[in-house]
Amino acid sequence: MRGAGSLDETWRRALYAFAAAVLLFALGAVVRPGFVRPDSILAVLTVAVFVGLVAAGQTFVILIGGIDLSVPWVLNAAAILLATSSGGSDARAFSALLLTLGMGAAVGAVNGLGIAFLGVPAVVMTLAMNGIMEGLTLGLSGGMTCASCASYAPPAIQALAHGVFLFLPTALWLWLAVIAIVSFILGATVFGRATYAIGTNLRASELAGLRVRATIIGLYALSGLAAALAGIMLVGFGGQASLGMGEPFLFQSIAAVVIGGASILGGRGHYLGSVAGAICLVALISVLLAMNMAEYGRSIIYGVIILVLLLLYGRESRES
Amino acid sequence: MPPRAARRSLLAHAIARNIGLVLVIFLLVFSIFLYGLIYGLTEGRLPGGFELTSTVNNTMPLVLAAMAQTLVVLTRGLDLSVGGVVDLANALGAISLGATPARMALASAFILLAGAGLGLVNGILVAYGRLQPILVTLATLSIYQGLAIRILPQPGGAVPEGYTALLTNPSVPAALLYVVLLGLFWTAFRRSQAGIAIIAIGNDEGAAAANGINPLRAKLLAYTLSGFFAAAAGLFLVATATAGDATTGNGYTLTSIVAVVLGGVSLFGGRGSAIGAMLGAFVTTMIVNILFFAHIDPLYQSFYEGAFLVIAVVLAEGLGRFVRKRR
Repeated sequence: MRGAGSLDETWRRALYAFAAAVLLFALGAVVRPGFVRPDSILAVLTVAVFVGLVAAGQTFVILIGGIDLSVPWVLNAAAILLATSSGGSDARAFSALLLTLGMGAAVGAVNGLGIAFLGVPAVVMTLAMNGIMEGLTLGLSGGMTCASCASYAPPAIQALAHGVFLFLPTALWLWLAVIAIVSFILGATVFGRATYAIGTNLRASELAGLRVRATIIGLYALSGLAAALAGIMLVGFGGQASLGMGEPFLFQSIAAVVIGGASILGGRGHYLGSVAGAICLVALISVLLAMNMAEYGRSIIYGVIILVLLLLYGRESRES
Repeated sequence: MPPRAARRSLLAHAIARNIGLVLVIFLLVFSIFLYGLIYGLTEGRLPGGFELTSTVNNTMPLVLAAMAQTLVVLTRGLDLSVGGVVDLANALGAISLGATPARMALASAFILLAGAGLGLVNGILVAYGRLQPILVTLATLSIYQGLAIRILPQPGGAVPEGYTALLTNPSVPAALLYVVLLGLFWTAFRRSQAGIAIIAIGNDEGAAAANGINPLRAKLLAYTLSGFFAAAAGLFLVATATAGDATTGNGYTLTSIVAVVLGGVSLFGGRGSAIGAMLGAFVTTMIVNILFFAHIDPLYQSFYEGAFLVIAVVLAEGLGRFVRKRR
């Protein structure tokens, strides 16, 4: 068992991320008085769902010191696959949903296989997989010129992304469910314990008899699954799929995990922290948009704020 | 005196130690052969001087970006801001390169210095801020890209013909000279005290510090040089394109990592050569050329590039293990 002190430390970082999110909302209220009305807060949180879902997968793999750079095109492929395979009809929505989620998990599992069995560094494997998925998506859809490429997401899925249930948007309910499931997996299962152990010391985990390779494959499969789910929600939200819709989510998902206090080297972090990180990022972008900041200004301030947050609580200890 | 058996395996030892370099040379020869074959079959003649010149000119920015990435990867880091610095140098070049040679020289020097400064910022944050390199450069990438768009909101600007002729002459493969110079620079640098320090901290920072190497200074130097070379990549990019665009450099973050990996530089630091990374840059370009002349649907291009990257890395890993076992 690790000392209670280090666990407290990680939770404290997650709390800082929540505090930063609250601070950003307060800043938004100063800039634009309507910013903290309940409906606009809910709107910001709904947009944070997409980053938050991708960040769930990114949390899984970052906890073992890995990274998933294949997120953009797994997400994009999922969005296009859902729209084309369902053809926009509710009758085929369920099978399309299963097919899309299965595709995401399978692609993630291939990432895991390459990393666990072929010894390819995670950065290289998932970077290459991003290229492979980009090529397949562009090629098979003929550059989005295929007959079914203009299909809309099935109405049921659009309703899932837009609907309201018991005062909250259904997208938020979905996120709450994902938060509960991911926190349960990481905190209360053998799989979750193995994840933290591998992230802390891979060799020791092997010697202790943990099923290291199977766990690695499972974690990357979960990351692919999360990216596919985000793609499904995104196409449900926007109605149609488009090329390049996954690009912003790579850096945002990594930033969300790190702002949430996880160590990029593995072994330390919680999904609740990543959730706070995702809310932080989306709140920040919303505040900057509310200030009518030009794109270049948003890009600069975005980078500066991430640096400031990292300097405040993301520093490595001096002994190494 | 080494024992007789050890001396006999000196060649095997040298190959095992430079397995990454050996493999990238093999990859380059193989890809050039395949390119010549496919070119010959589709065009009815062998590629000549024009093909050589355009290949070298198109690869120059990636060669420099690979050099930039190598320096940071050797310290067990990763520089995601390479693309941002390339963008910034590209944008600055498009607006500031004047008509006179003196103006061009002055502007180029300023841009290279600015690149070194941006790299130094990364280095300070990594060394003194004690932040993970991948996170620092993720944030500065966003900042540098923002600055580049601020400087050049729309593609445009102009590059004087003389500048293009000097850096990436479109009629003779003179840019090969720069590749040779970079190779010579690297050969001298890795034997210098600074070069040894950078490789040593990538191998084992604690042990390097115990042996009198200052890890902070080595990191600052690696990141500063990385920014310098990334800015040079931006200048070569603006010279080949003859106009500026503040976003074309974005791709160099990822392609420089690909070149470094193909070149046999270990992402875990301390092992590898910038010469390998530069050859890796040429392999990357040759693959694009092969796909083009094989009339592969350009939509599938990234698929083949990605598949090739995995296969090359798996082969390198397998071959390295094989050679080590035989030794």
